[in-house]
Formats: sequence, structure tokens, C-alpha cells
Amino acid sequence: MSLSFADPQLLWLTPLAALPLLGGVLRRSAFPSLASVPVDGLSRLISLALTFTAVATIGSTALALAGPRRGGELVEKIGDGAETALLIDRSGSMNETFAGRPPEGGEESKANAARRVLQDYVRRRQHDRFGVVGFSTSPIRMLPLTDKMDAVLGAVAAIDRPGLDYTDIGRGLATALSLLSEDAGQSSRVLLLVSDGAAVIDPKVQQTLRTTFARTRVNLYWLFLRTANSTGISDTPKPGEDTPQAMPERHLDIFFKSLKIPYKAFEVENPGAVEAAVAEIGRLETHPIVYRERLPTEDLTGFFAALALLSSLALVAAKIFEAGLFTSSLPLGLPEAARPSRRRAA
Amino acid sequence: MTDDALLAYRPHARPRTGRPGAHPGADAGSLGLFRNHAPFSRYPEARRIDLRASLRDPFGEIHVRRFEPRNVVDVYALVDLSASMGFVGHAAKIGLVEDICVAMARAAHRYGDAFGIIGADAHIRRDFQIRATRRRSLETEIRELFRRSTPAGRSAAGLAEAANLLAGRRKLVFVLSDFRQTAAVTDALLANLIRHDVVPIIVGDSAEETDLPEWGLIEMQDLETGQRRVVFMRPALRRKWLDEAARRKSALRRLFMRYGRTPVTVADRLDIENLSRQLMEA
Repeated sequence: MSLSFADPQLLWLTPLAALPLLGGVLRRSAFPSLASVPVDGLSRLISLALTFTAVATIGSTALALAGPRRGGELVEKIGDGAETALLIDRSGSMNETFAGRPPEGGEESKANAARRVLQDYVRRRQHDRFGVVGFSTSPIRMLPLTDKMDAVLGAVAAIDRPGLDYTDIGRGLATALSLLSEDAGQSSRVLLLVSDGAAVIDPKVQQTLRTTFARTRVNLYWLFLRTANSTGISDTPKPGEDTPQAMPERHLDIFFKSLKIPYKAFEVENPGAVEAAVAEIGRLETHPIVYRERLPTEDLTGFFAALALLSSLALVAAKIFEAGLFTSSLPLGLPEAARPSRRRAA
Repeated sequence: MTDDALLAYRPHARPRTGRPGAHPGADAGSLGLFRNHAPFSRYPEARRIDLRASLRDPFGEIHVRRFEPRNVVDVYALVDLSASMGFVGHAAKIGLVEDICVAMARAAHRYGDAFGIIGADAHIRRDFQIRATRRRSLETEIRELFRRSTPAGRSAAGLAEAANLLAGRRKLVFVLSDFRQTAAVTDALLANLIRHDVVPIIVGDSAEETDLPEWGLIEMQDLETGQRRVVFMRPALRRKWLDEAARRKSALRRLFMRYGRTPVTVADRLDIENLSRQLMEA
């Protein structure tokens, strides 16, 4: 529970709340001697209540002006699962079917299948935190790590939109890693790469990725949606064709293996296999995670304004009920007796 | 106040000043109203030999007629200048006191008495004093005195000190106060002035005692201490308030009666006839 203020400088007005303690609320009637006024419990109670109400009126008005709000602080939450960065290929080929042609009739594109399966996955893992990064020619940070399921599902739902051209997997990986390394918690981290192909990673970028992977301690899963008749991870190379340019998937796999991190590649060739692969990832990744989150702020201005209004109304009621008993009353300020005698000073 | 009416007062005890005035004196003399006969041997006043009484005496004693001379008396008004006298209800209390003092000065002048004023709050007020005098300008001086000073004292305890200024012959002393001080203060005042003819005049106001509203929130401020108190006025509390006022009044009256003084009350406005009657009865 923390309080913050929109205009903290207006809090300087709050000491004004002490005024009713000094001045009183009602018009004063001078009386020769209070000793002859009977002591009355109810009157004393009302007197206290009036003073308190007046203090509350001024105090809550000043607070309402300052615009108090509660919350907005970071809280630690414990979830059961992992921090998962979904790194999703948005290249144009994802919009094709596993057969390598635009979907027709009831056919499902690779992106469609990935979307459906990932949505299922996200729904089942309520306590995970997800971040989403899309990549094609360049990576797009779509969603930072969060446990807001609606946002995650929305981000995932958008992955079957028509994609762009190329597949710059190196920068995509770097972005997804930066997403994960923002949070220095103790939880297990998962990088789930969904792509239907691979690309050559520049040796310089490879070096950077190597150090980042080593620092981030991440479990890497590669869901490779293989199009029929394209090169795969486990294809044995023909002699003389074992170059990253000719067989990018195989060489990416080799690169991932050389990182010495928990890594598993799923090479799937139809929508059913996608589901099986995702289910396996789900099985593998259940650890308690601790994460911090910013609470939503709650505006308390209304509460204090209502309090000020209520207490003002109470004061108005008291003023209406106020009786002018005597014609004489002191002007606001010092009591008569406190004034020094003019004559004696002379 | 009415200008033509003259305030009447009389000292409780016969004055023994020896100076001719308006009040029946304690001495026996050869002027004034007839008082009694005395044997010539004891009161050898040849001019007042009563032949008829002497002849009637079978023993042949010569009788002398004695008369009671009328004497003057010094009259003092002891004015309470504590802040509570600044109360303004249906009338300003201090204004009422001023009117009474002027009426007394006027009456004293007509009776040939000397009139003086002593003001006091917590102590005697040196600036609020007129020694007993027969000056004709007295009325103006009194008006001026009241115009110059406001009641602002924190208590009326200084009234008792006035005894030091009232040394000498027995005087007629009117104490003009609301008597809202504690019983001990009033007691000390009466004890100090025991040698004089003291007439307490209670200056009240119907606004502070009887003229209270049935319902309402009232914030009161004590004129002397400056304390504040909120009172939630309702019929039950009003009744309690009036009861308390009546109790205070009777306690005050009992205290005065213990010293043989009958209090005189004035409220709201100066009614000279009413005040005169009370003063003569006191």
C-alpha cells in the first residue's frame, strides 16, 4: 500500500486543517462566565464532532486537490511455470500450408496451426509469463513479458496475419533474449522459436548470441514447421553441399547445440505434430517462478472529494442549526479578555 | 433614565459625621426632629429646656428636649470592571452601571453627600477613581471615566482591596457587580467592608438567564477566561440551565444575608423608582 500524489505541492495546504482547532466552527456568543453554564455530555460530544468534521473538511479538500492515488508499486508474485519468450517467424512462407502452397478450402496454413496450438498452450499455462517477438526482415517486439493472458492471446492471435519477406533469425533471437534478460528473477526461462525455415546467422552475430545465451540461462525450443520437400534439420548433407547457405536449418541446429544450453528441436510436418510438440514443451517446463509486477493505480481523489462534500454538508447543517443566543458576539479573532487593557497601558 | 426622578437611598446605620445633611444621624443635637428628653444635669442645653415636661415631673427634674440632627454620609460606588461586565445582552451591563452611578451622583449632590467611585478588576484600578467629592462637575467626570475605560479584567478580586481606600468613618458603599465571581471572592469582599454600609447591587441581564432559546447550537466564549464551549441547547438543558441560575442566585443571596446585607437587583434597564424602593427596603 503506497500513496502517491498527482500534485504533491498542493499538500502544503493540509496544515490549514488545523484552523478549526484554533478558531472554532460556530459564531461565538460572548458570555459573562461559563461557570454558570451546565456541563453537558452531549454538547461536548457535538463540539468534538464539529471540530473533527471541520478538520476533515479542510484536510480532505486539500488531499483531494493533491490528487492522491494508491498502488502503482511493484509486487512479487509466484507463478507455476516459466517465463516464455515466443519468437515467431512472420515470413511470408508461414502463410502457406505444410504442403507449401497457399491454403485452399479447409486447409490450414502453418501460421494458423501455430496460432491455434500456441493459444492453447498459453491458455493452459495461466501462471506463466509470456513475451512475444515476431521477426521477418527485422524483429518486432510485440509484447514484453507479462502475465496478462488477454494481451498474450491477442499477440498470439495476430501471428497469422500476412507476413513479410525474409527471415532474419539472428536479430530475432537477440531481441527475444533481451526480452528475457530484462527480468533478473530466479525463474526458468524458455525461448520458444517457431519458424518454418532458418537463415544464415552472421558469424559476428553468432558470437554475440553465444555470450548472451550463456548469460541468460535459457531453455531453447525450436518448433520447426517443415514444409514438404524442403531441407530439414536432420537431413544428411550431400557431399559438397554442407554449407550454411545450402542447409541453413541443419547449421542453425548445430549452432544451437554448440551453445551448451538445454535445447530441443521439434521438426514437425503437419498440424497434429505441432500439437504433440507443444504438449511436450508444456510437460518439460513447469517450475515455480517469482516475478514482479506493477499494480494498477487507484485514484482516491473521488473518495476524498466525497468525504469533503459530506463533512461540508454536516457543517452546513450545524450552521443552519446554529442559534444566535445573544446580540453581542465577539468579532473573529482574539477573545476580548486576551486583549491588553488599553487603560492600564496608558 | 428619567431626569426628574431622584434616586433615594439611606444608610443602614445612622451616620455620625457631625456635618448637617439629609440622613438622620446617630448624635443627639439641638436641631432637627425631636428625639427624646434628657435631664438638664446630663445634657445642659439651656436653650432647649422643655417647661411643660419639667413642670409635669413630680420630682422636679428639669428636662431638656433633644433633637436628632440630619447628617451627611460619604457615598461610594464600587464598580466591578472585570471583563464579564462587558457583556451586552438586552443592554450593555457597563452602560447600566454608568447610568446608576450618574443617578447616584445626582442624588448625592441633592442630599449634600459626597460621592466617589472606585473601580477594580483583578486589582484596584488607579485610573478609575474619584475620591468622594461634592463637585458639581461630578456627572461629567463619571461619564468621562466610563468613556475612557472598558471592562477587561480577568477577575473582580480587586474589589476587596477597596477597603484600604475606604478608611475612616462609616460610609455607604454600593457594590455594582454581576457577582459572577466565586463565593470566596464575594465573601472576602463583604468581610473586608464589614465596617461600612454595603449595598450589593447585582447587575444582571435577562438574556443571560431567562431569555434562552429552546433549540440550537451555541458556541459560547467566556468573557474573562476566553474559553470556548459549544452548547447544544434543548428543552432539557434549558431547564437545567435555569435551575442552576436560580440555585446560584439563592446561594448568593444567602451569602449576603449572612453579612446582613440585602442584595438589590437591576436588570436590562435602569428604573429609578424601582431601584429607590429596593434601596430603601434594603
